[in-house]
Amino acid sequence: MNPFRVALAVARKDLRSEWRTRELVPALAQFIILALLVGNFGFQIDSRNASSIAPGILWLALVFAGLVAFGRTFAAEREQASLEAMLMTPASPVAIFAGKALAALALLVICEAVMLPALSILFGTPFSGDVVAAVLLATVGMAALGVLFAAIVARVRARELLLPLLTLPLWIPFVIAGGVAVQSAMGLPGNYQQAIGLLIDFDILFVVLTSLAARFVLDE
Amino acid sequence: MSIIVANALTHRFGRELALEGVDLVLDTAEHIAVLGDNGAGKTTLLRILATALRPTAGRLQIAGLDAFRERRRLRHYLGYVAHAPGLYPALSAAENLQFFCDLQDVSRSRVEEVLDAVGLTSVAYRRADQLSRGMQQRLAIGRAILHEPRLLILDEPDASLGPDAADLLTRVMSGKTVVFATHDQALANRLCPRTLVLRHGRSVGTATHLRVVR
Repeated sequence: MNPFRVALAVARKDLRSEWRTRELVPALAQFIILALLVGNFGFQIDSRNASSIAPGILWLALVFAGLVAFGRTFAAEREQASLEAMLMTPASPVAIFAGKALAALALLVICEAVMLPALSILFGTPFSGDVVAAVLLATVGMAALGVLFAAIVARVRARELLLPLLTLPLWIPFVIAGGVAVQSAMGLPGNYQQAIGLLIDFDILFVVLTSLAARFVLDE
Repeated sequence: MSIIVANALTHRFGRELALEGVDLVLDTAEHIAVLGDNGAGKTTLLRILATALRPTAGRLQIAGLDAFRERRRLRHYLGYVAHAPGLYPALSAAENLQFFCDLQDVSRSRVEEVLDAVGLTSVAYRRADQLSRGMQQRLAIGRAILHEPRLLILDEPDASLGPDAADLLTRVMSGKTVVFATHDQALANRLCPRTLVLRHGRSVGTATHLRVVR
């Protein structure tokens, strides 16, 4: 059985369901805009400090939007009792996990497509390819970790509480490296190339680790 | 040939004993009904037989293979209708089956045949959340037979099916080895020559159909 076909089928199914129900993306996009507005009004933003404050607001909004997006990936399957049906097929759990992670990644990228221009408008920071690259690279690893922990906590009652407790500590490397990359892309001191290199390393490390762990998490 | 050989299947949920020492031997193309009150352990037994739940103790062989060590190999072999339909509400009936064709590595051309077999051709493109409970149950049955399994584990498949439940299930079960949990004793007697009665997680025998008693 082709694992790529399975992963694509799972991702396509999740994205099609989201397109028809519009449960997640509009709410997340709204949350992101509101978070940026709160940041904009909560700080005294001017041309001198915008570049130092904007990256922090960006990562805060991204982290909390990510928690909601990734938390829903397996919670919805559990609620409609469809996860068991999917796991009762001969499809590889790793391929199923990859498909879920791909779909969650795509949904968060759609939200980022709203967030980055909005950040640029509200904070007057540059909207460059370097910022986009840093955010996208961080999102890949964050999606892999977030979806894995979402699968783990989906079977417990206090999943909304547990997911941030498990996920946030492991997202810190992405926030640090991503933060440096975005600050540097916005004209603040920092080594952009080094931060991007670190993000790629973290992505490879966590995508491999989560793929290995997914088999055990989903099989049991 | 014995398709299912279960020895002393026991399962605990925490301290609660859900199933205790159930034995079962089922031969090729044999049908057995599992009867019992709510909480008797029917769903636990069926989930174990479907390899969806690992028993706390006991052994289970399906088609000569250790059901839990080789469970991925057995996925092609068995079809399972769970207590809840477990459908994707935003996808149509056909899309639900197409998705499972991809996961089962089955040609999507099978979808049309299965929809016809379960009587859902006329609502193939209706979203699953707009189907009646009985239609959803038919779709869940269709999903279980999509890959033409030789062993069917059916957990109350007659729920909400309507007056033609027996005809549909007779068609679906034909030529297959079947474990079928139900509350409907008349339907069980009509579809299955053997009966296993569970009470408080233990198997007890009363009917002439019963062969497995512990």
